Amino acid sequence: MRLVLSRDDRIGVLRDGGFVDVSAAFADIRYRTAADRMPRVIATLAERRAQVEELAASSQPEPVPPLQAPVPRPPKLIAAFANYREGANRERQPQDLFLESPDSVIGPGGTVVLPPHQATIFHHEAELALIIGARAKDLPADERALAALAGYSCAIDVSARGLGRMPPSRMGKSFDTFTPLGPAVVTTDEVPDPQALRVQLSVSGELRQDYSTRDMEYSVVEILAFASSYMTLVPGDVILCGTNHQGLGALQDGDAVQMSIERVGELSVTVRDPLRRTWPRGIDEEMAARHRGAHA
Amino acid sequence: MRIAMADGSRIGVIAVDNTFVDIGDLLQPYDPLGPEDLLPDLITHFPELRDTLSHRVATGGGVPLEGVRLRSPVVRPSKIVCLIGNYREGTDRPPQILDFFFKSPEGIVGPGDTVVLPPHPATIFHHEAEIAVIVGREAKSLSADEAMDAVFGYTVFNDVSARGLGRSGINSFLGKSFDTFAAFGPWIVTADEIADPYALHITVEVNGERRQDYWTSDMERPIAELMTAISAVTTLHPGDVICCGTNHQGLGAMQDGDEVVTAISGIGAFTLHVRDEQRRVWPRGIDRQTAERVRAAGLRPSQ
Repeated sequence: MRLVLSRDDRIGVLRDGGFVDVSAAFADIRYRTAADRMPRVIATLAERRAQVEELAASSQPEPVPPLQAPVPRPPKLIAAFANYREGANRERQPQDLFLESPDSVIGPGGTVVLPPHQATIFHHEAELALIIGARAKDLPADERALAALAGYSCAIDVSARGLGRMPPSRMGKSFDTFTPLGPAVVTTDEVPDPQALRVQLSVSGELRQDYSTRDMEYSVVEILAFASSYMTLVPGDVILCGTNHQGLGALQDGDAVQMSIERVGELSVTVRDPLRRTWPRGIDEEMAARHRGAHA
Repeated sequence: MRIAMADGSRIGVIAVDNTFVDIGDLLQPYDPLGPEDLLPDLITHFPELRDTLSHRVATGGGVPLEGVRLRSPVVRPSKIVCLIGNYREGTDRPPQILDFFFKSPEGIVGPGDTVVLPPHPATIFHHEAEIAVIVGREAKSLSADEAMDAVFGYTVFNDVSARGLGRSGINSFLGKSFDTFAAFGPWIVTADEIADPYALHITVEVNGERRQDYWTSDMERPIAELMTAISAVTTLHPGDVICCGTNHQGLGAMQDGDEVVTAISGIGAFTLHVRDEQRRVWPRGIDRQTAERVRAAGLRPSQ
């Protein structure tokens, strides 16, 4: 099942190329904003699954309306540092994660707005996103951890480089609009093997990133186990699994960015830079070489 | 005015006679969905509630503080932002580049609660006493002039920190996001009662032994600048917590059985207990090595 949230705050399921409104299945859930509604909705998804599917099957799909992120402001936004082998034959690095601002999330069709800060470059990082479905602490690093997941989604971890005191810049990933997320929460049953997904990202028609989640250093269940060994995960939390740096490139004013993950979906955003700075187009080969080598 | 949470879901003010006066009834018209909405609602509607609240503070008639269990004054902020090394620490160096990180809001504990050390092989678990700002309104790209208007009040924060975990050289600060590692209280003092936030004395005592002992006058970058820089990156919401950084001269180990009292003059004090199932032992007293390193080089990638 593919659960989405329309910009006019209707909860829907994507089916046969269209959208079916299933808001009625969640009508009893009180909320103030979409930000606090979706974690509550996602928390009930497992137990209401049958009812949601029945609703989704009972009506004719309408054309897909404009969508917002399926979790417009997650309780926590957790991100993996470089978590891919990137074609190198090396021992995997020690596992690590960090927190980004949950206010950085935008949805499909949104606009990434580059801030006036003097970053050396603004990179796109296409990543598999995990959407947490149940409170969880100390999950095991095996299949059982997947029970804590509501599903998967696409995310772009937009990254301003060179800001702050200590590289890599964490601040540079937390700007408002810097985490496009969506279009749907794709439930785990639709993705039999999360370690065999092709991830692609194109900028204005030019393919940049193109990698497989098979190359991850720490798998989805290992990430879930590690994150939950530190902090309680709660419904609606989003964990970004890291990117493969072979294929990063600059984002700049006017760019149209499209990413896709096999079985998970397609996510498109545009980029606006009021300062209209320019960087070389194409892949940042220097960054790619650095990550194949010593690693950050 | 001092604003507190008690017994899990009650919000109140601390009256002149040091009693807890429940004010939940005043917030019902705003239809809170849960205890996490009470403080943001109070902050948002503070101007219209102020007279009524002042009246209650003056008249007293609440429950003696011994009769309530105070909790962390913010139940669930959208984010906890922590400044990285923001004190001169006795040096005359120029201010370092402003930088910050986010700490897990699931780590929140309050007065009388227990910090539980995880089994992870940290080199040490430090206390870091800090003054924290409670954000007073939704704010993005604050100008220097309006930054202090977005401060609702202040509280006492202990940014508990596990050292030596994670990938070397990248500073994830994840060792600060364990559950129970975001300790603060005992209440929020509204900004109008803190005439000079740079004239406050911050202390930590562990089992009666004085460890941290510094003044906010040593802060590198003033609160308005922190608010401006953070809101240039991310939208702030009422009740968000901004920790202004610690002075590392006086950090020390927290270990099983410790009783830790964190205090700021003019705001308040609260006690934490420490539990470590593994009963690891570190030297008592001040961690002179960390103090010396930060004094010599500032807070650099090696932490």
